[in-house]
Amino acid sequence: MGGVSDAVGANFITVQLDKLVNWARKSSLWPATFGLACCAIEMMATTMPRHDLARFGMEAFRASPRQADLMIVAGRVAQKMAPVLRQIYDQMTEPKWVISMGVCASSGGVFNNYALVQGVDQIVPVDVYVPGCPPRPEMLMDGIMLLHERIKRGEYDARRVPTGA
Amino acid sequence: MTIEAERIVERFEQGGHGAFVESFDAREERMTINMGPVHPATHGVLRLLLELEGETVVRCEPIIGYLHTGMEKECEDQNWRGATTIVTRMDYLAPFFNELVYSLAVEELLECDVPPRGQYIRMLLCELNRLSSHMVWFGTQGLDMGAMSAMFYGFREREMILDFFEMVTGLRMNHQFIHPGGVWEDLPDGWDDALERILDVLPGRIAEYEDLLSYNPVFLERTKGVGVISRDEVLALAASGPIARAAGVDWDVRRDMPYDAYGELEFDVPVEDAGDVYARYQVRMVEMRESLRLLRQIADRMPDGDHKNMDPKLSPPPRPELNRSMEAVIHHFKLMTQGYTVPAGEAYRVVESPRGELGCYVVSDGGTSPYRVHVRDPSFVNLQSLPVMVEEGMIADLIASIASIDPVLGGVDR
Amino acid sequence: MPEILRLAASEWADRASSLRSEGWVATDLCGLDRLGLVGDGARFEVVVQLLHMETRRRLTVHVAAEGDPPTVPSAVGVWPAVDFPEREAYDLVGIHFDGHPNLRRIMMPDEWEGHPLRKDYGVGKVPVEFRPQPFLQIDAPGQATTSVHAAREVDHLGQPVPGDDTPARRESNWSRSGAAEGEAQE
Repeated sequence: MGGVSDAVGANFITVQLDKLVNWARKSSLWPATFGLACCAIEMMATTMPRHDLARFGMEAFRASPRQADLMIVAGRVAQKMAPVLRQIYDQMTEPKWVISMGVCASSGGVFNNYALVQGVDQIVPVDVYVPGCPPRPEMLMDGIMLLHERIKRGEYDARRVPTGA
Repeated sequence: MTIEAERIVERFEQGGHGAFVESFDAREERMTINMGPVHPATHGVLRLLLELEGETVVRCEPIIGYLHTGMEKECEDQNWRGATTIVTRMDYLAPFFNELVYSLAVEELLECDVPPRGQYIRMLLCELNRLSSHMVWFGTQGLDMGAMSAMFYGFREREMILDFFEMVTGLRMNHQFIHPGGVWEDLPDGWDDALERILDVLPGRIAEYEDLLSYNPVFLERTKGVGVISRDEVLALAASGPIARAAGVDWDVRRDMPYDAYGELEFDVPVEDAGDVYARYQVRMVEMRESLRLLRQIADRMPDGDHKNMDPKLSPPPRPELNRSMEAVIHHFKLMTQGYTVPAGEAYRVVESPRGELGCYVVSDGGTSPYRVHVRDPSFVNLQSLPVMVEEGMIADLIASIASIDPVLGGVDR
Repeated sequence: MPEILRLAASEWADRASSLRSEGWVATDLCGLDRLGLVGDGARFEVVVQLLHMETRRRLTVHVAAEGDPPTVPSAVGVWPAVDFPEREAYDLVGIHFDGHPNLRRIMMPDEWEGHPLRKDYGVGKVPVEFRPQPFLQIDAPGQATTSVHAAREVDHLGQPVPGDDTPARRESNWSRSGAAEGEAQE
């Protein structure tokens, strides 16, 4: 269910505590600013009045990765950018999640060539893949809410189980 | 360029800080700081190597390439129509312009015409795109200087324009709609009502933006005299678009070397002299109003006819024809599998994108895929004027200057 | 076809200065690898786009690069605007510019080998593989997914590999949370 019941043993109190902690985590997930390309514009549009991301408590995009718990990799990751991406991911504190937004981040997208990393899961473990080029703000929100569901269930290290990617 | 310690002390003393400066050794204060590529105010993955003496920027070197996607190589791997899908993702805030300039270059090689309706539809989409791009600029300019509301206002109107794009092309961004020969589909029914609604609402909203920022004392303090670039420097550095027009260079490709049907429309080109951030702000605000004026003329004068050159060797036949005619099926098959061939040669066409002169140099070897596509992106060249604008200024002025250049790193790095 | 001027590398330095004094502004510079094109001439060319604003003319200058590595005199002293474009032509096509103050890679990482836009450099496609992957599926609400038996294998079509009481794929993400309310798992 979550950290406490896994560590100490699942009884009524620890499970309820875990539920509270997971609810708190999912309700104010702060993204790190990692907008790279076109998807970044749609990510910005998701925080704007039409599709308001603030209703999920997520409008506070933290510039410092140490203050963020979600990294939305929005856009294509070039070979030159890959070490920077990994550095930002490493600086984030646990628990942390990664959403790969757009097809370029998920799999290389339209571009299958020398310059791009074919999918950001080559570099960081990804929790949710949101396809689209670029995904509509509603699609990104669907991906975020899927992540919320997984967080509510306490899946903060699910992706560390090898999935063969 | 080095700053003498005495000059700095003198400036401090004139500004009333003299009482706090005991001694000052500029060499002790020089720091080399890296700004970016992940930074909230660098408009994408731009990295700046700054040498600072205190808050003063002594040297600024932009380091790019963090979004290099190999698009020019990728275009050589697609057929002539498919390269549009690659080119459109370069300057992602102005995708129609990328598609337009590529299509114009290929049409010059093909020596084919675009029917008037096709030209007007292209102009319609491009002017709306100019508006939506300037709204993002407005939002980010305000956001970078602390006026966060500007972001919300700008993007609110942008949603209206993106709804129009979705109605016409099916996508909000990266449309792949303008192809060599015209546009892919005709405008749907109801487009004129949607455009009317936009044209009714937007002038008032732009007036709201001007109320928000144009006479705001804090904004004026932060933008007047900041990031100054002179006319000679602009010409030497080939900075184009609002940067050039704000420094006194009266050049707009739509008016001076017109493409599509811009020669038939009336519009003014704003030119300012100061060359600072505020002048660029004024130029872009007037450009937004001129785009509305152009849109009104385009809406009134939209001609009837074909939306693309219907030569079956170039454009797939309309779908109902595929049920009736064998030749149509064969043409469709050839176009979808192989694509059309373009005669050997080279062409260079330029359009006026929201950031400046966007050019496309295309070389063909007579085959079905481009031999070389090189896009002259305005932001790539405009970034070279950043060091000139910011040296001897403060870091906060650097942020304002970057926002006023309005770089889009997708175009810079391609 | 644009107005084209073809020059050898040795003529470029003087010609650039005279063009600038006539009022031409360099707007763009790119490298061109003519390996697949018919016609004789050097393999590598630098293509410079010039603009004359008063007379509204554009001029395309092809400067043939000589030697190995292909070299062309730099025009940065004449038009500072070609600083970044020359670096890009060096990085992507491999043309050296004599006299450029800062000829380093600009797009690719500094330690990259090769010049990607050359015709003998491949696109670098990565073959796309479709492999069956173990798929993590929640059987019951509240069950920790770190427990190994929650993983279910799927075959290449995404259908669960038959095992004991394999739960079927759910319809949508939302029915997942709806089903968590206690409906029977199917």
